[in-house]
Amino acid sequence: MSDSKIELHGASKYFIAHGQQIAALQPVSLAVGEQDFVALVGPSGCGKSTVLNLMAGLLQPSSGHITYDGRQISGANRAVGYMTQKDTLLPWRTVADNIGIALELRARYVSRKECDTRVAQMISLVGLSGFERHYPGELSGGMRKRVALARSLIYEPETLLMDEPFGALDAQLKLVLHDELLRLTRQRKMTVVFVTHDLGEAIALADRVVVFSGRPGRVKVVKDIPLGRERDVFRIRFTETYCRLHEILWEELKDEVRKGTQA
Amino acid sequence: MKPVLKMTISSEQNSEQIAEKNAGQVAAARPWHSKSILSQPVLTMLGRVLILVGLLLFWQWGSGSILPRFWFSSPLAVFEVLRGWVLDGSLWHHLAATLLAMGIGYIAGGAVGIVSGFLLGLAPYGARVAAPFVTALYSLPKIALAPLFVILFGIGLESKIMLVAVTVFFLLLYNTLDGIKDADPDLAQALEVMGATRGEVIRKVLVPATLPWIFAGLRIAVRYAFTATILGELIASNSGIGFLIDYSAGQFDAAGVFAAIFVLVVVSVFLTEVLTRVEGSAQRWKN
Repeated sequence: MSDSKIELHGASKYFIAHGQQIAALQPVSLAVGEQDFVALVGPSGCGKSTVLNLMAGLLQPSSGHITYDGRQISGANRAVGYMTQKDTLLPWRTVADNIGIALELRARYVSRKECDTRVAQMISLVGLSGFERHYPGELSGGMRKRVALARSLIYEPETLLMDEPFGALDAQLKLVLHDELLRLTRQRKMTVVFVTHDLGEAIALADRVVVFSGRPGRVKVVKDIPLGRERDVFRIRFTETYCRLHEILWEELKDEVRKGTQA
Repeated sequence: MKPVLKMTISSEQNSEQIAEKNAGQVAAARPWHSKSILSQPVLTMLGRVLILVGLLLFWQWGSGSILPRFWFSSPLAVFEVLRGWVLDGSLWHHLAATLLAMGIGYIAGGAVGIVSGFLLGLAPYGARVAAPFVTALYSLPKIALAPLFVILFGIGLESKIMLVAVTVFFLLLYNTLDGIKDADPDLAQALEVMGATRGEVIRKVLVPATLPWIFAGLRIAVRYAFTATILGELIASNSGIGFLIDYSAGQFDAAGVFAAIFVLVVVSVFLTEVLTRVEGSAQRWKN
């Protein structure tokens, strides 16, 4: 893995709560290659989100280390776009101003006109035309997710970290956005780390699926998904390979899910 | 049995409400309010006018019969005093003195309070060091400082300005600090990942997140500033509405006292109205 974009070397995370040390993530080693689309699946509380926070530089590992482009991450990682589970839209900005904010920031300043054009493109891409002047408080949860998605795509970060981005969406819209996401990430040669609890979604999108075990999290199995890059997300669920992979990975996952519900 | 009963009642209410909507009536759809002609806004206004006129008539009639005229004066006498103040220009002079002292103190105290709030909010060490001093001064009733300010700054506008400024300063300082504490750190992190500098995080997250708190502080502070000005004028002054009250009371001129209080009521209603409108238009996103 010489051309790895992101590497975790025995990275772990412990929190102190009520005087007790709680392991969120047991030492994990993982490499994400350049232009890879990696999906992390596992029961809730298995540390998937922690992995993303480590990659984004928002958390420092308790042990081990993490590199991005071969360099150790220190402080917020500005090479990535991060779509967190909780949408972090600014409540006092309209949909359009929320999506455009990344273009306003000093580092990637673009002209007002270009900003407007790109915002308009993004808004129609995520199907929010007509809601440009609405405030996040006036939108449904699913619509806010779409705003957050547009915001993290608009400045074309080379790497995209996504934490259950489509959880709140209805099935049809989910498929449409899956399709867009694959098209965009391929076209812009992006690296994607995608956290989900939906195994089907993971297989349909990813080149590689990483199954996490329950709390405290560690990597249980890593599986390549040989479905090719030019896949059709609308039809992939009917292919034989998809069904076989789903069956194999579900075997790995189901014990963890069961353990999770007993705990 | 009970739940069944409940269900029938609520479904009846629902159908009633629907019927109401269909009929295109604007009456409030609250089942515990009986619909009646009294819900007309014109009639609400009429009721208010009747109460006001009734009270004034009672006061005018009672004055000299059941209420001693010397202590209670009468609406006509009060009106005469007000007319005199308007005609000789003294009303404008005193009103201007009060509003000027209040305005300058409010703006100065508010501005310094907001800036200090941000400075302390962004410098945790400074905030920890300053905390006990700030708390001690904050808990002090500011009006106790009025005599001191008279000694230091005289009986003119300056002493009232200081009293107002100190009062407003602490309100805005605390509200700004609370606003900063309340700002969501996740929003700041999200912007940092997008490449925002510290300055940009402050401008685009911290300041807008704190604004509602500052607005709330500014709104509350108007009442405090008004009170502080009047109290300052009552203690020692040579002009202002508070001075008019104190002076008239000193002359046992009940009509003058009532006239000055009437002016106070008008001014405070006006201030409240202006504030409500400004705040409403500035915060559409907070619904």
